[in-house]
Amino acid sequence: MAHDLGFWTLQALNALQLSMLLFLLSIGLTVIFGLMHFVNLAHGSLYALGAYFAASLAAIGGYWMGFFLAPVAVAGVGILLYSGLIRRMRKSGPMAQVLVTFGLIFVMLDLTRIFWGDLALAIDVPTLFAGRVELLGIEYPAYRLFIIGLGLAIFAALAFVLGRTQIGAMIRAGVDNDAMASCLGINVERLFFIVFCVGCALAGLAGVVAAPLLSVTPDMGLQILIPTLIVIVIGGLGSLKGAIAGSLIYGFVQTFGAVLAPQLASVLIYALLAAVLVIKPVGLFPAKG
Amino acid sequence: MFRHNALRCTVLLLLAAAALFQALTAGYFGLEILTEILILAILVLALDIAAGFGGMVSLCHGALMGVGAYAYAILSAKAGLSPPVAMAAALALTGGCAWVIGAICARSHGIYFIMATLAFGQMAYSYVFEAPVFGGDDGLGGIARLDLSLIGVDLNDSRSFALFCLAVLGAVYGASVLILRSGLGRSLAGVMHNEQRMRALGLTVWRVKADVFGLSGMIAGLAGVLAAQHVMYISPGLLSWTVSGEALVVVILGGLGTLVGPLVGAAAFVLLKHELSALTPHWHLVVGVILIAVVMSRANGIFGWIEACWGGRAERRAAKAVRKQKTKEVLSDA
Repeated sequence: MAHDLGFWTLQALNALQLSMLLFLLSIGLTVIFGLMHFVNLAHGSLYALGAYFAASLAAIGGYWMGFFLAPVAVAGVGILLYSGLIRRMRKSGPMAQVLVTFGLIFVMLDLTRIFWGDLALAIDVPTLFAGRVELLGIEYPAYRLFIIGLGLAIFAALAFVLGRTQIGAMIRAGVDNDAMASCLGINVERLFFIVFCVGCALAGLAGVVAAPLLSVTPDMGLQILIPTLIVIVIGGLGSLKGAIAGSLIYGFVQTFGAVLAPQLASVLIYALLAAVLVIKPVGLFPAKG
Repeated sequence: MFRHNALRCTVLLLLAAAALFQALTAGYFGLEILTEILILAILVLALDIAAGFGGMVSLCHGALMGVGAYAYAILSAKAGLSPPVAMAAALALTGGCAWVIGAICARSHGIYFIMATLAFGQMAYSYVFEAPVFGGDDGLGGIARLDLSLIGVDLNDSRSFALFCLAVLGAVYGASVLILRSGLGRSLAGVMHNEQRMRALGLTVWRVKADVFGLSGMIAGLAGVLAAQHVMYISPGLLSWTVSGEALVVVILGGLGTLVGPLVGAAAFVLLKHELSALTPHWHLVVGVILIAVVMSRANGIFGWIEACWGGRAERRAAKAVRKQKTKEVLSDA
């Protein structure tokens, strides 16, 4: 089994698919942190919310309605959070932010329970991607390939926006030195708001695409939170490169760890995180040198 | 450095009297809740020493508590050591683990420290969850309580066990005050206020942090040993990061860096949890809203708020300045 090329291809694709899902979540979290120095533990709850919105919308108008509308709805929730809580917490230290967003996790967990109940919901894979695809000598579910493709497309789009456009330059300037950026006439506050909304929408999108693979349960946000945090801490806070590198490292270590050393798999990733923090306390590719 | 003022002494005496009264008069259910409060109080004292007086906001104290509980369970139930020996070994092991974690994380600050401790906590959690010797998801049962029949106390009686926990909590509180007043505690205060200056003065900063974190972890391990003896059954859920998060919530609700405040917080949290869960299944919602409100109000928890309101005008002004500075420093350094 272990010498079969197809087997390794399959595992690599699985790892890539997990990485892309984590990338969609972590990019929002890391840029929000890099730009606003805001630790949003409730990011995972927004992901769960995206999955729930998608489940409800899919019941009305099919998968694609959920796919396009749920991220918008999650961004709407993000706007509410921003104007209600987060704007006021901006100047507080990280511990206050961790605690407020920890409280927010409690609140959102119970709100989803009240609205959607405790039972797991399921969404069908869209008919367009329902089958399996012949690829490199193996059969692979088309929907998982769609997730990989979507992740790569979002990565390319973000790399273009952040690296090549004016708003991207403004965001990078804001991450680097927000006081100086606002002296140069950039409305950093509005930039924060836009980035926060986009980050929330991406978290919602991750929830939507994850929904057909995993069952939609109230605690799915809590389950994904720790992997997302590991990704952004390994990668370094605030940078696109860090988010993609961290996601790939996590996806491959987790998947291949589970195959090669099942006993050690779950410990392996935490040991890796500890090692990274000891050697490079600010992660591999931090936004600020 | 930690000082007792009249308010702290009064609240401490009131709490002790209430706990003693409850321990002597309450029925079975009341005693169970009291024991739960007392064990949580030991855990949050440990966390307050590290977070409130050392600025080391840890998300692995729940895991350390779990390490203590599992070490005691394995050593007493499987390795056949007598409970006192198993207890001492479990404390030494937890203290050692915490010292190593503290030493490794000493270089990290702020959110990175929180994340690093979270990583170590989760590492312990997944190891315990996966390793067959720990019983995995099923947990371990059949854990014996300490045998104090030599002095005529039967700890299998819940009233005696509650009183025993109260005595342990008293001892832990005394030990915490001693730690904070010792040379180590004073160095820690210096490190929290200005790490660079302490380093310039010739202090080995990482050693101070590791020592305090080790002592704090040992106390958390003691809470774990008592929790294992209390329920006589343990599961990996004890090590989950949400336990650490809840402990942090209790410390904040009570009042960071006051020692007395977290005790108030522990009592308030457990009582609130039981009262609310009797009323509604969604008690997390209410606790979450209260937590958000307390942190947003910028008061230093319930006790910090009482402390700020109390006393004469001059005292109030002085206390406020200290509190403000302390909160600001902890919140910005953490």
